[in-house]
Amino acid sequence: MNINAGGFSKMNELMDIFRLFGFQFFQNALLGGTIAALTCAWVGLFLILRKEAMIGDGIAHTAFGGIALGLFLGVNPILTALLVAVLAVLGISYMRRKGLAQSDSAIAVMLAVGFSAGLIIISLAGGFNVELFSFLFGSILTIDQTDLIIVSILGISTILVLGIFYKELLSITFDEEGARLMGIPVRWLSLAFNLLVAFTIVLSIKVIGVILVVALLVLPGLSALQLNLSFKGTTLAAVCFGVVSMTTGILLSAIYNVATSGVIVFTAAAIFIFTATYRKLE
Amino acid sequence: MLENSQLGIMQERTSILEVVNLQVNRSNSVVIEDANFTVHRGDYVGMVGPNGGGKTTLILALLHILPKTKGTIRLFGQDIESFSNWEKVAYVPQHAINFDPHFPLSVRELVALGRVNRSNLGRTLKREDWASVDEVLEFMGISDAAERRIGQLSGGQKQRVFVAKALVRNPEIILLDEPIVGVDAETQEKFYKKLSDLNVERGITILLVTHDLTAVFCRMSKVMCINRLVNVSEINADLKPEEVLRKAYGEHFHFVFHEHKCRRVFEDE
Repeated sequence: MNINAGGFSKMNELMDIFRLFGFQFFQNALLGGTIAALTCAWVGLFLILRKEAMIGDGIAHTAFGGIALGLFLGVNPILTALLVAVLAVLGISYMRRKGLAQSDSAIAVMLAVGFSAGLIIISLAGGFNVELFSFLFGSILTIDQTDLIIVSILGISTILVLGIFYKELLSITFDEEGARLMGIPVRWLSLAFNLLVAFTIVLSIKVIGVILVVALLVLPGLSALQLNLSFKGTTLAAVCFGVVSMTTGILLSAIYNVATSGVIVFTAAAIFIFTATYRKLE
Repeated sequence: MLENSQLGIMQERTSILEVVNLQVNRSNSVVIEDANFTVHRGDYVGMVGPNGGGKTTLILALLHILPKTKGTIRLFGQDIESFSNWEKVAYVPQHAINFDPHFPLSVRELVALGRVNRSNLGRTLKREDWASVDEVLEFMGISDAAERRIGQLSGGQKQRVFVAKALVRNPEIILLDEPIVGVDAETQEKFYKKLSDLNVERGITILLVTHDLTAVFCRMSKVMCINRLVNVSEINADLKPEEVLRKAYGEHFHFVFHEHKCRRVFEDE
């Protein structure tokens, strides 16, 4: 949608932006995008502090195999991506626990296996199609009611579990051995958290795409960390930055008719540069 | 009938930690061998010994973080294998203060993590939890820094914050593994004073790994020498520190004590 085309006056442009909010597709995009941004920012902050940001990228790429499988079988690709992402998380946890591989190597193995499975399935299906591209690069303006329901269920369950076990996850993130000594079930909570990472990534794939989902996980948290706040303050700032990047990105991309996921990431990166500069000047 | 004073002595001598024929191996080599000792309620034990002698290994075994190879450990009269009352035990690890300085936690939030345990899993901290946090911050003299980020604290403040985190669970025994490495002598002295207060005013049993022999013999009630073998002695007027330490460190070491510092410690208090 190119609102700018045709030389509208400023008032007309503004009216068109307001009119956008009346469209179902735009409401779906804003709602789905906000849920994804909020969840990604919160989960991502924990990932950054656990020094596991790349698990997000790894699982997203692995989930690509699931998307290809869904498209091949004619099933909703978000559901098959969820299945593959959960299997990837379990696989990474297993390899780490059994000493088969360190965290980064385990992620690399899963990423490669999942992505190549996707490639094989695509070649069996006779090549790439438009829908597959929309999952690779995101297609927030095409989120339909079914997608929105799946995104909402995954997002709300992730936010609920994070909210309930917030203090335990913080304790594990800061000092795992200490948390274990306090009787906190570290292994189960770490596994649950990794499953939440899988949920978060899958719900964000339609919004921002497999390739850029890591940006939505990392940039808001990283920006918030520049502000030297308490944990509560950092969490709130990360969530705000995520949601602001998302809504600004959706609006700007609608106005200027450019790729939404790209604008979302650029907005998030601009916030990061702004907060990092603020920190330097402080 | 026992006299009240005798009853008092019996209560004071209640054993909190009993170790019998303990052996702990790491990477197939024996690190702690045939250790036998008892720690009583209210003891203030200095754990000394050369680097690599097994001090940290012993602490980790006592906390059930490392498995024992042989022998028995009893905490509060219960075998460690079935012991579940870990709220009574607090631990300040060796490198506690070497955390990521950019970790976004305020002092108050960090100390509150000490209240997070199995019993309140999935529930938010209550008002009384936060009241305990504020009370411990006050006791450790760090209330003024409550809202500061932990990365902005000095070395001495960090130590006190981590002891506060351990204390906020109201433990009966606290194990500290070299918590005073890398801070100046004056800060160390203040820290020892605070631990003595804890021991005397709150009756908390303390096991402290340290290389500061003067602090051990001036302030503590027992010295535990660890160098594969473990030897525990009561500190009293008859004890000859050099003889005790030679068993752990060997014949070739020369020990320097600052007895004038001992006098100063008590005069200051």
